[in-house]
Amino acid sequence: MAKFALEGIRVVELTTGAAGPTVARVLCEFGAEVIRCETRLRGDGHRGEDPKKWNMNPDFMKLQRGKKSFTVNMQTEKGRNLVKELIKQSDVVVENYGLGILEKWGLDFPQLKEINPACILIRVKGMGCTGPHAPDLTYGPNVGNTMGTTYLWNYPGATTATAEPRTQHPDFMGGVTGAFAVVLALMQRKKTGRGQWIDSAQAEIGASLLGPKYLEYSVNGRDPQPQGNRSLTAAPYGPYQCKGDDRWCVIAIYDQDEWQRFERLLEKSGLERDEKFATHLGRIRHKDELDRWVTSWTLKQDRYEVMKTLQGIGICAAVVQDVEDQFKHDPQYAATGFLVKMTEPEAGDMVTENVPVRLSETPGNVRGLAPLMGEHTHEIAKALLGLSDEEIKKLEEEKVLY
Amino acid sequence: MAQENSSPPLTGYRVLDLAGPLGFHCTKLLADMGADVVKIEPPGGDEARRSPPFKDDLPHPEKSLYFLHFNTNKRGITLDITAPEGRAIFLELARKADVVLETFRPGRMDELGIGYEALRTQNPALVYAAITPFGQTGPWRNYKANDMAGLALGNLLYLAGEPGEPPLQPPGEIAYGMASTYGAFATAVALYHRLDSGKGQYIDVSMHECSAHIAGYFIPHYGHSGVKPARASRKGEETDLYDPYPTKNGFVRIFIIPVEQWRRLVDWMGRPPSIAGPEFEKMAYRRKNPEPVHKVISEFCLRQTKEELYEEGQKRRIAVTPINTAGEFINSPQTQARQIFTQMEHSVIGKYAHFGPVPRLSETPGRVRRSAPLIGEHNEEIYRGELGMTIDDLVALRVSGVI
Repeated sequence: MAKFALEGIRVVELTTGAAGPTVARVLCEFGAEVIRCETRLRGDGHRGEDPKKWNMNPDFMKLQRGKKSFTVNMQTEKGRNLVKELIKQSDVVVENYGLGILEKWGLDFPQLKEINPACILIRVKGMGCTGPHAPDLTYGPNVGNTMGTTYLWNYPGATTATAEPRTQHPDFMGGVTGAFAVVLALMQRKKTGRGQWIDSAQAEIGASLLGPKYLEYSVNGRDPQPQGNRSLTAAPYGPYQCKGDDRWCVIAIYDQDEWQRFERLLEKSGLERDEKFATHLGRIRHKDELDRWVTSWTLKQDRYEVMKTLQGIGICAAVVQDVEDQFKHDPQYAATGFLVKMTEPEAGDMVTENVPVRLSETPGNVRGLAPLMGEHTHEIAKALLGLSDEEIKKLEEEKVLY
Repeated sequence: MAQENSSPPLTGYRVLDLAGPLGFHCTKLLADMGADVVKIEPPGGDEARRSPPFKDDLPHPEKSLYFLHFNTNKRGITLDITAPEGRAIFLELARKADVVLETFRPGRMDELGIGYEALRTQNPALVYAAITPFGQTGPWRNYKANDMAGLALGNLLYLAGEPGEPPLQPPGEIAYGMASTYGAFATAVALYHRLDSGKGQYIDVSMHECSAHIAGYFIPHYGHSGVKPARASRKGEETDLYDPYPTKNGFVRIFIIPVEQWRRLVDWMGRPPSIAGPEFEKMAYRRKNPEPVHKVISEFCLRQTKEELYEEGQKRRIAVTPINTAGEFINSPQTQARQIFTQMEHSVIGKYAHFGPVPRLSETPGRVRRSAPLIGEHNEEIYRGELGMTIDDLVALRVSGVI
């Protein structure tokens, strides 16, 4: 079996929500041992409030798969000391609590460094660890508000505030970007033997994709406005309605060769060629008419047929899939094994997304099931903290290992 | 914090960048973290130089702000890798490179004789990453897909937009961004592994799969219970207050999850009797009786600016955020305090504020070191300086259209 690239790296996770857990999950996929510290005092947001359902939530399975669950009460000094003992034996700490909590626990970087100078700390916050809004309460779906995504995700001239769905790309992209930074810090540590800390703001990671929009403001002095599905680089461009109820297929045509193949196809199916559309300039100038012309064809076609037919002649086309389509109609996900089935002891059958990147020598994988609440508390208490059964029992009764 | 003279973590690593837009953010992440990224453009320049927006809206290959953002911090050379001399030069460069990143259709690099197998033979430590729309295997591997196609297949486009209107693409090429981020992460993992093993490896990134990772929790939920959201159903289950509220000058979003936040919000609004009852503390109840809730909050928000609501709301530990324009983000106290933008100068575009790098490493932070390259700006530096070519060689290559 191939060796994992991050084998031997131990991560202590002090998180809630999604962005922090995703950092640790991505490290786990490539071989890190992740000890997720959580408490029975209150279920994590993705475990839910009802203790009977702590081990049932599909969100939780996605975020925590492959990790170990160590229940510890951080309100107690004994609990904090046990976590400090774990950190002494670990390489990375991932946290994303509100600003100030880590400080209170004595685990912010200056204090952490005293415990383990080789440890790397990543602090994941909506707005980062510095600045007047560092303490903000944020969630994945409202981080995008501050940086412009929400405003710009709209139809041109729209009257509603946004057409943004409940996406969480600041959570998930933030998680992978955070894991990237952690691996860089691990590389650096090989040289120096020292750890460092990473200030990771989800808003800024999301914002890093809007660079051209910010330049539009700072160079051209104009605040960019929502563009909807407009494009000047491709025409036809966008989702076109197909046969059926609210069914769509994206089509994008970038050059004259593609256009000529497309035009011939539509002509064959009985549409009349329009000279207005002969050049890219013409297609951009007469975009609305062009869209109607294309739609008069797509409306009679099945969306997957549109995709297959156009891809068959080398044109970018893609069905607007919902989650059911991803399971039932997407042969690519099926062929690459992207949808991984798992059977959780309490929740039963689950499906989770596979690692979307394949490394030839040190591949990652989903590693395993999501842990039950406290599933690994005893194992960790014995193996890493050197506690006896009796001591563990006492700490559980005192609600320290809790 | 970091010493002024600290080096970013990827200092000393050479990346050959053959990426199109699908991989722009990947090599940008590597460049921001210190790698010497050499962008290889076809003679005449990369296609992205034709992408808007442009400085003063004037289309010009050195004035694309899209190109400027993604290529700041990279060096640039021109090279026709489809010509025999071009391939030989690329092989020479790849002999000494640490990373090659490309986004061509599967098999294209092999056809040119510069695929992974050819490069590995001469440089076993090379990390070779290919980011493609669908990965290197599977029935759709040769299909074309742009960012919007990635989002369409990944179940993100389906959810976006208003009911009765077409699905709506997000700003910022998120599917490209996620694929690029995974590409950068995997490259870092491979470089980390190489520190001990001395061996490089091949990385296969699928945008189609990366895109599915952004759409939230629908795959696990559907896989468990078969539930799926309706088209254009923007609102989530996690809060009833999803829609933004108009204020004196724009919109805010109030994102209430725990009951404590609801109580604080009601207190802040002066405990209006129509919604102060304990029954309103349950989200399920508010969902069934949204009118009084929305009426009170709407009236409350309309009396203030979004900045006032943001400041006071957050002070009261309520997750209020303003819906900012790009300009408002740039000028916000938080962005200013964190100095997210670096003042740069480009010889054609002039002064500009460059975003990044993020995230921040305390001891070895990333750095903005140079502006985006002009077409072939570093040809001489690299072809003469590193490969030892003569001026006559350069002229000959130029005449034959190779550089």
